[in-house]
Amino acid sequence: MSKRKTLIKVKPNKYKNGDIVKVSFMVMHPMETGLRKDKTTGKFIPAEYIKNVKFEYNGKVFTNMNIWETLSVNPVLTTYMKVDGEGVLKVTFTDNEGAVEESSQKIKPKG
Amino acid sequence: MQRRDFLRGLSVAAASAVVVTPSVSFAADEKPKGSNALSYKEALAAVTGSKTPEVSKKIALKVPEIAENGAVVPVTVEVDHPMNEDDYVKSIHVFATKNGNSRCVDAHLSPANGKAMLSTRVKLGETQEVAALVELSNGTFLISSQSVKVTIGGCG
Amino acid sequence: MRKILQISLCVVLASSLSFASEQFAMSNADRAMYEELMENNPADMMLSNGSELLDALGGDAALAKYLGLSEDELPVYLAGFPRYIEKFKMVVSIDQMLQAFMHESGKKPYALKSSDMFDMSSYVKSIANEQPINIDIEANEHMKKAYALGKEVFNTRRGGRGLSCYNCHNPGVVGGILRTQPLPDISAKGNASAATWPAYRMTKSKLATLQKRFQGCMQNALLAVIPLGSPEMTALEVYFTHEAKGAVIALPGLKR
Repeated sequence: MSKRKTLIKVKPNKYKNGDIVKVSFMVMHPMETGLRKDKTTGKFIPAEYIKNVKFEYNGKVFTNMNIWETLSVNPVLTTYMKVDGEGVLKVTFTDNEGAVEESSQKIKPKG
Repeated sequence: MQRRDFLRGLSVAAASAVVVTPSVSFAADEKPKGSNALSYKEALAAVTGSKTPEVSKKIALKVPEIAENGAVVPVTVEVDHPMNEDDYVKSIHVFATKNGNSRCVDAHLSPANGKAMLSTRVKLGETQEVAALVELSNGTFLISSQSVKVTIGGCG
Repeated sequence: MRKILQISLCVVLASSLSFASEQFAMSNADRAMYEELMENNPADMMLSNGSELLDALGGDAALAKYLGLSEDELPVYLAGFPRYIEKFKMVVSIDQMLQAFMHESGKKPYALKSSDMFDMSSYVKSIANEQPINIDIEANEHMKKAYALGKEVFNTRRGGRGLSCYNCHNPGVVGGILRTQPLPDISAKGNASAATWPAYRMTKSKLATLQKRFQGCMQNALLAVIPLGSPEMTALEVYFTHEAKGAVIALPGLKR
C-alpha cells in the first residue's frame, strides 16, 4: 500500500529551548467503522482505522495515544511537548491490521 | 466476532422465515455491532478499575453545545495540573457515552509534554454526553462531561 | 394543482426557517470553536498532494511558462480566474486550464471530477493566496457574456421546487437559520465564497471546489445538476467570483 499522506505542525513556528509547543498530527485515513454499507454493492465496508499514534522526540515517547474508529475521517490529534534541543519529532502510527508507518519533522529551536 | 454473530442470526431468521411465514421480517434491520463495541460504563470501568472518578473543575472539556455535523465534532481537553517528574497527568481519555464503541482516545502523557492537553475530532452518532477522564500520576481519577446536541445541519 | 403544491412547499420551507435567537442556532462560542479547526485543516494534506502532482509536470515554473508568465506574475494572474483565454477561445476555470496544460505536457488530463484534479487545481488556486480576487468581467465580450449567463443561472427558478439560488441566498433571508446554519447572502457584493473555496467539507470529509459545491446545492434543492466545466457552470463561477472581487484569497477553506 502506498504511504499515507501526513502532516505534522508545530505551533508557534518559532520557538526556543524550554518552550512548550503545540504539536498536531494529521493523516489522510478513512477511519472506517465497519458498520457502513457500500451503496453500490450493499455490503459492509470492512473496518479500517488507526489504533495507535506515538509521538517521539529524540527517541523518547512523550505522548502515546490509543485511538478508535470513533475518530473523524482524516483524523487530527494535538498534544504538547517541551522543546529541549535540536532533534527529530517522529510520529508512528499503526492501523488495525498492524501496518506501521511513520512521519517526522526536524525540531530546530532558535536561541 | 460480533459481526459473525449477527450474520448467523440473520441466516437463522431467514431460515425460520421460510418455515413459518414468508411475511416475517428479516433481522437485517437490526443495527450490527462493531467489533470494538464497548459501552461507556464498561469502558470507564476498564480504565478506572474499582475507583470512582471525582468530578473536577480542573478539567476544561471544550465541545460544541450544538454540533454542526456529527461526523466532525471538535473535542479539546485541558487539565489544570502541573507536569512535573513526580506529579503529572498520566492520561486523558475521551468517551462518547452513547456511541456503540464509546472509546475515542486514550492519550498517555508524560512530564515531557509540559502541558496536559489533548485535542481531536470525533464522530457522534446521536445527541449525547462526551466525557473526559483524567488519571493523575498518584492514581487519582478526575472526570468531567458535557452534552453535545447533534443535528442535521444546513443544506447538503 | 401544481401551483397549490408549490405554495404549500413554500410555506413548509418558510416555517423551517427560524431566527438566530432560537435554541437550534449555534452560539458564538460554538462557532469560534469550529473556526479554530482551521488551524489544522485536513485539506492542507490534499493541497500538498496537489503540489506534488504539479511538480510531476514541472511545478509552478512550468505552469508559469505555459501561461507565458514569469513565476512572480503567477499569483496575480491566478487570482483573476475564470478568464477568457485566447488559445482556447473560451472562458475557463483553473481546472480546465490545467487539463490543457497536462495535454500539452503529453500527459492524460485528470477528469474534472477526479480527486487528483481537485487537489491540483486547489493547490494552483492557492498560489494566489493573499492576493485580492481581480477577475475582470469587462475585459472582453466573452467575460461580459459569461457574467450575464452566470447571473441568469443564479436567478433562474427551476427543478421540482421551482427554486433558484437566489431564493435561499438573498438579502431578505440573511440572519435566517436553516437547520442550525445561517443562510449566507452570497448574492451580496463582497461575499468571500470565491476566496474561501476550494475547501474541506466536513460533512463529506473531502476537498471540494466551488463548482462541486454548487452541484451539491443543486442536488439537494432538486435542481438538475449542471456539469462541471460546462459554460453555465463556469459562468456561475464567474458570477460568484465577481461578487467576491477584492476579497483576499485564503485557501484552503474549511466548511461544515
